[in-house]
Amino acid sequence: MTTAVETLAPARALPSARPGTIRRRTHPLWFLLPAYGLLLVFFFLPTVFNFVYAFTDWSGFKAEINPVGVENFTQLTSDGTLFRSLRITVVYAVLVAIFQNVFGFGLAVLLERDTTVNRIARTFFLIPVLMSALAVGYIFQALLKSSGLLADTTWTIVVVALIHAWKWMGLSMLIYLAGLKSIPLEVTEAAHIDGASRWRTFWRIRVPLLAPAVTFNVATALLGSMNGFDIVQATTGGGPARTTEILNIFIYRTFGQGLFAQATTMSLVLFLLVALMAFPVVYVLRKREEVL
Amino acid sequence: MKRWIAIGAALTLGLAACTDPSASTTSGDTVATWADPTAELDGVKLTIWAAQNSNTVPKKVVEGFQQATGATVEIVTVPDPYEQSVQTKVATGDKPDLAFWQPTASMLTAINAKTNLQPLGEAPWLPSMDPALRDITGLLDGTRYAALVTSPAVEGVYYNKEVFAANGITATPKSFDEMIKLARDLKAKGVTPFHEMGADRWATQWWVQVQLADAAKAGLWDRINTGQDKFTSPAVVDTIKRYDALIKEGLFNSDIKTAKFEDQGTALLDGKAAMVVQVNSFFGQLQAKADTATLDRKIGFFPISPSGNVGTFIPDQSNALVAFKTGDAKRESAARQLLAYWMGPGYSDFVTDRNTVSLQTAVASPAGVPKALQDVHASLPTSVGSMQALAVANPDLYINLADMIAGTMTPDQVATATQDQFVQLAKAAGYLK
Repeated sequence: MTTAVETLAPARALPSARPGTIRRRTHPLWFLLPAYGLLLVFFFLPTVFNFVYAFTDWSGFKAEINPVGVENFTQLTSDGTLFRSLRITVVYAVLVAIFQNVFGFGLAVLLERDTTVNRIARTFFLIPVLMSALAVGYIFQALLKSSGLLADTTWTIVVVALIHAWKWMGLSMLIYLAGLKSIPLEVTEAAHIDGASRWRTFWRIRVPLLAPAVTFNVATALLGSMNGFDIVQATTGGGPARTTEILNIFIYRTFGQGLFAQATTMSLVLFLLVALMAFPVVYVLRKREEVL
Repeated sequence: MKRWIAIGAALTLGLAACTDPSASTTSGDTVATWADPTAELDGVKLTIWAAQNSNTVPKKVVEGFQQATGATVEIVTVPDPYEQSVQTKVATGDKPDLAFWQPTASMLTAINAKTNLQPLGEAPWLPSMDPALRDITGLLDGTRYAALVTSPAVEGVYYNKEVFAANGITATPKSFDEMIKLARDLKAKGVTPFHEMGADRWATQWWVQVQLADAAKAGLWDRINTGQDKFTSPAVVDTIKRYDALIKEGLFNSDIKTAKFEDQGTALLDGKAAMVVQVNSFFGQLQAKADTATLDRKIGFFPISPSGNVGTFIPDQSNALVAFKTGDAKRESAARQLLAYWMGPGYSDFVTDRNTVSLQTAVASPAGVPKALQDVHASLPTSVGSMQALAVANPDLYINLADMIAGTMTPDQVATATQDQFVQLAKAAGYLK
């Protein structure tokens, strides 16, 4: 994809361009305005407000909004609940990332060959991805209610992470499948001629070549489940004894009590945490791709 | 350059909008006038917000009102958790004309009554209300904001009469200690004395609140509201410890950690447990499971407190309505008129349709009201306010107690966490500076 753009770019550049500038103005620049406008209103401004309101005393109890400095932050850090929720959120995200990728990878390898049975099986594994997350949560809640699996204060978080991974494993499978399919036949053939066993070819040639798919899958699973809410809310509602209360459920509860500024502060903390985790994770995973 | 100007402009515009959208109300706090309940209202459209468990309550009244006045009234069901959904909507500027709302000071504060709600002083139905119930709730700092339409809920003990009789118990206990003694006797005979729902959590707080009834009468919540007393004071902590000790003693169902609201009703009806400390909505569940004759035969109610049989009242969302300041004088007046119709010419039909206790001296309660509900209503005049009724903020005491039942919190931690949250909420509401 990137290579295609790079080869096209010089061809399109006008010969009269000054060195160091790119002149490819096939369309007026203001054509971008609607897109930027939407970006501004729906992504940029909310983020800005997220920062602004975190430093106020906005609540459901009164009409005025006054700045209060860092009071919301000091109060949140003095109370153990925020850190507990953050810890649960990170544990949940890591578990989901592991499960979803292991399942997705296993399914992709299992269903790689284009037989009719495999095609049907792939479709079935993709159905949960299309299902409503709340529906998935409520179905599993109904299934597991009597088993006691959702009442254990230690293991319920693992169960909920498994449910989340189950729902999204079809998507990981699809991306791993695409990765496996894009490995050139010549490479595996060469390995075969060199005398590598199938096992060795798989682990030493094909798996390393899946690095871009791993990057995408791990990053989206990890960072996506950091923002998780629906599945956990529907399955356990944060219970038992708040051991599955991920940060978004905590935020939801706080907002519901009318403490809008405190809830905003927490979502800012979550935003910063996701950003802080995203950069190193994506960096490390991209580093792995460089060896290709 | 142009783009940067555009971004700058949009940004300033956005920041200028950085005020609470619900603040933009026009009408003042002048004493409202009350139109004749059946005056013509052709072309006026009113909206009532109701929860899943209260959306059928106004049906009969609305039919009668529409017929009498020509107004159109739409009942909109707001999804659960109702209070949270309504607060969120109101915070973003979305308001109905009327809504079901818990008429307690803390919940009136939570919806910012002074800004958002119409004061209902001088309401025409007040003189016909039972004097013992007229001012029991619905007031915030001396201003009336809510109209009580049904008998408020009371925290007390629902018991299985047949289990009591089979074990030779002829009289209901006269105090909390007597009740515990009775429970121990029942346990010795192999009966589970109490049933609690640790998984659905919300009923756990009743156990602490009924133990606090006498302290509440002596002004505990006023002292907590002003910071002179705390949830961490011995008066409160001791009740939490007592509850914990009773659970550890084995006086509750063995599946207390995983039991749900639904299980509680089944357990009491089947006689698997002898007593349940609960509120009116629990009886609603029993009514869904059995007919009035069965309930009258099987289920009884008595209020309880350390000193005697004092109930703790806790009005909930299905008991009362509030009228919003919408900025449209005509609709605001029509909303008040609907309340006047409800509590006036429409009240008799309403209580008959709902088969519920009447709050008005001139309107008799229908004959089919179950005995237990009549007992609940009879306990109201002597009962005291709950935390929800009297505290300025309503912390998640029940969640902390459920955590205690699950074993992840100690009674002292429950008290500390509850107090911390109470202070946070009270401060946000402008108390406890």
